[in-house]
Amino acid sequence: MAHTASEWTLASDDAWDSASDSESAYRSPPTTSKPTTFTSLSSSTSSTRPIPVTPSTATSISGKSPQTTRQSTNGDGLTGSEGYTHVLAPSPSSSYSQGILGKPPSAAGWTMVRSPRSSRMRDQGADPEVENEVEVDMEGSVTEVAMGRNRRIREGREAIKYDVEDIVNDPLHAVHSLSSTEYEERVASGIGHPELQHQHAMKAQKRQKFVDCLTAENVDIAALRKLAWSGIPDELRPISWMLLLGYLPLSAATRKSVLSRKREEYANLVQLTFARGIEGLDQQIWHQIEIDVPRTRPGVRLWMERGTQRSLERILYVWAIRHPTSGYVQGINDLVTPFFQVFLGGYIDSEPSLFDPALLSPTALNALEADCFWCLSKLLDGIQDNYISGQPGIHRSVRYLAGLVGRVDAPLAKHLKAQSVEFMQFAFRWMNCLLMRELSVKNTIRMWDTYLSEGSNAFSEFHIYVCCAFLTSWSEKLRAMDFQGIIMFLQSLPTQTWGDHEIEVLLAEAYVLSSVWHNAQSHILKGE
Amino acid sequence: MAGSEAPPNLKLLLIGNSSVGKSSLLMRFTDAQFLPEDESSATIGVDFRVCKMEIGGRRVKLSIWDTAGQERFRTITSSYYRGAQGIIVAYDISNRETFDALPRWFTELDTYVTPSVVKMLVGNKLDKEFSRAVSEDEGRKFAQRNGCLFLEASAKTNVGVREAFQELVEKILDTPELWAPAAPRITSTATAKPQQSMPGSIDLSANAQDNASSGCSC
Ligand SMILES: Nc1nc2c(ncn2[C@@H]2O[C@H](COP(=O)(O)OP(=O)(O)O)[C@@H](O)[C@H]2O)c(=O)[nH]1
Ligand SMILES: [Mg+2]
Repeated sequence: MAHTASEWTLASDDAWDSASDSESAYRSPPTTSKPTTFTSLSSSTSSTRPIPVTPSTATSISGKSPQTTRQSTNGDGLTGSEGYTHVLAPSPSSSYSQGILGKPPSAAGWTMVRSPRSSRMRDQGADPEVENEVEVDMEGSVTEVAMGRNRRIREGREAIKYDVEDIVNDPLHAVHSLSSTEYEERVASGIGHPELQHQHAMKAQKRQKFVDCLTAENVDIAALRKLAWSGIPDELRPISWMLLLGYLPLSAATRKSVLSRKREEYANLVQLTFARGIEGLDQQIWHQIEIDVPRTRPGVRLWMERGTQRSLERILYVWAIRHPTSGYVQGINDLVTPFFQVFLGGYIDSEPSLFDPALLSPTALNALEADCFWCLSKLLDGIQDNYISGQPGIHRSVRYLAGLVGRVDAPLAKHLKAQSVEFMQFAFRWMNCLLMRELSVKNTIRMWDTYLSEGSNAFSEFHIYVCCAFLTSWSEKLRAMDFQGIIMFLQSLPTQTWGDHEIEVLLAEAYVLSSVWHNAQSHILKGE
Repeated sequence: MAGSEAPPNLKLLLIGNSSVGKSSLLMRFTDAQFLPEDESSATIGVDFRVCKMEIGGRRVKLSIWDTAGQERFRTITSSYYRGAQGIIVAYDISNRETFDALPRWFTELDTYVTPSVVKMLVGNKLDKEFSRAVSEDEGRKFAQRNGCLFLEASAKTNVGVREAFQELVEKILDTPELWAPAAPRITSTATAKPQQSMPGSIDLSANAQDNASSGCSC
């Protein structure tokens, strides 16, 4: 019995399911859009094969079919017409979203709707030499039937946005790069299926709210947080993250100058740090970085490219030198990858993880690297305790997690104890790499939308609630395993097929946990 | 088949500098696999693997902890020495630094384990003969001075890997005081619920991508 994802039946709360797409969810502030009840992932041992999705059982409230969720979020080739079954758990909050979007898909395995960013991929055989075909692309297909596998993906240089220099200078430019009316028109013209039309209208409205928020003279950070909590549209993510992290000022007036100053500052830091060549570096730190960089996101093209690896080395080394109490610690390399992919994604119209950044202009590349550096620094500011000598931050977090699980899921905690499983044996990595070894970069990116909205403590505090929700979601399975089974299972969790939906269930659950237990934190820490 | 008594469950630990190939040696041994440079990722904290082995007609079950080499992780990885019967200390024969770091690893060993625990020094990446930086003789002498077994190996070309684990386990089996009376924790785990099917071991076969040939057979 292999613990494959196909064994899982997702019983999800529809209110949450819809949160990233449905208008009602994003319109309301996070406090109301976050569910008050939910059903967590639960295991079903009765089936060893994926359950084919049928309209009667598989209504994904957002109108997405499970297949599209999987495909659009995981990016790698999808298989046949089998997939997750989303079982609707009855819940008090189900009524409104069901009313809006509750119609079942007409058939299993239907259309995949592209995001504005990916909509420029198309299946005609464009001449790779032709660079100036953006206009054509803009009018190009809005939707593609997912079944049509021969869709042509823009690759290499031709994937670079035509207005990349504008976006580099002002990330807000991405907002204008594709106006929402344009987008709506294209949506309306391109789709026959009313379900999808509706879904797109929702998306367009959600996007418009972001645009309104982001284009304000002074961005209302509280409003941005509320919006971003439920997920940020891809093309607006770079600017949103930069604002949420406090890397960019909220005032539009100073933004461009701050940005160019920051990038210059980083360029100077790099120059200064590497002025005496490799010999001038702290050999111990440099050596560790040098051996970890090729081992970062192994097998993913972007991270195998020389250009990416050199950037990563510089980012990590400069950060390490500037933070001597922690220096470089293995796992920090992983934390750069979401930033790199998100910011790179802002400059291109193809999947960042498949792109060779060396194709970008030096200006764009330097900007990308600098932005990653500063944003990484901001993130690490909140969790530096995790990486200093003795890693006290991690020890505290793991202790809190253990205490929390003891209260939230006593039978599981008891079973783990009876089997001599120590939380440190599996949760150390969860803290050290922020679950990035357990989840895909895409999953992580969605997760960080919420973390960044939660504020600077999220990576040390909210994260623990996420870990608790994560662990307890496998409670039933774990309670049937012995020591060896538990450790092995937690080492290779079946999350490969996870998309936004699963992450959002997790985040919702974590939110509830944090509301319930936050005030008991010191008790829990003392009690253990 | 083997004797009638339950197979001893042995706990092994892999230590050594970062990137010398500890995880690769283990994966070669348990899964008969080698991941090239651009497909393997660094161990964070510790990883755990199990496998069964038959030695001279005796069955043993191995629980192997693979640690991360970075200094910063020592506070947590050092706790895994507890209860270990065998330790593999690895270095990279093409990287002098990893050999020069051995005294530090042995100092740590002396702090955490009893002298009877069996130690095996493995000089890995033997396939990189062309850029060898530590002679075999140096390796052997160091091992002798520190009272441990020694082998050169390559996880990449599958040389000496099985032998390294096998010799280590044989020596442990020759030292009954290491496992016969003790090992209370693991034994109790294994026998606590004999009636229950053990998902863990099934999971193991699911994880092993290639069961066909391996030093670690069931
Ligand atoms: N040439 C060669 N490379 C190896 C060998 N064993 C491991 N490697 C490579 O060395 C790097 C580090 O290996 P890894 O097992 O992660 O080292 P660890 O940090 O000690 O666990 C990886 O890129 C491996 O592919 C070997 O026997 N020969
Ligand atoms: Mg390793």
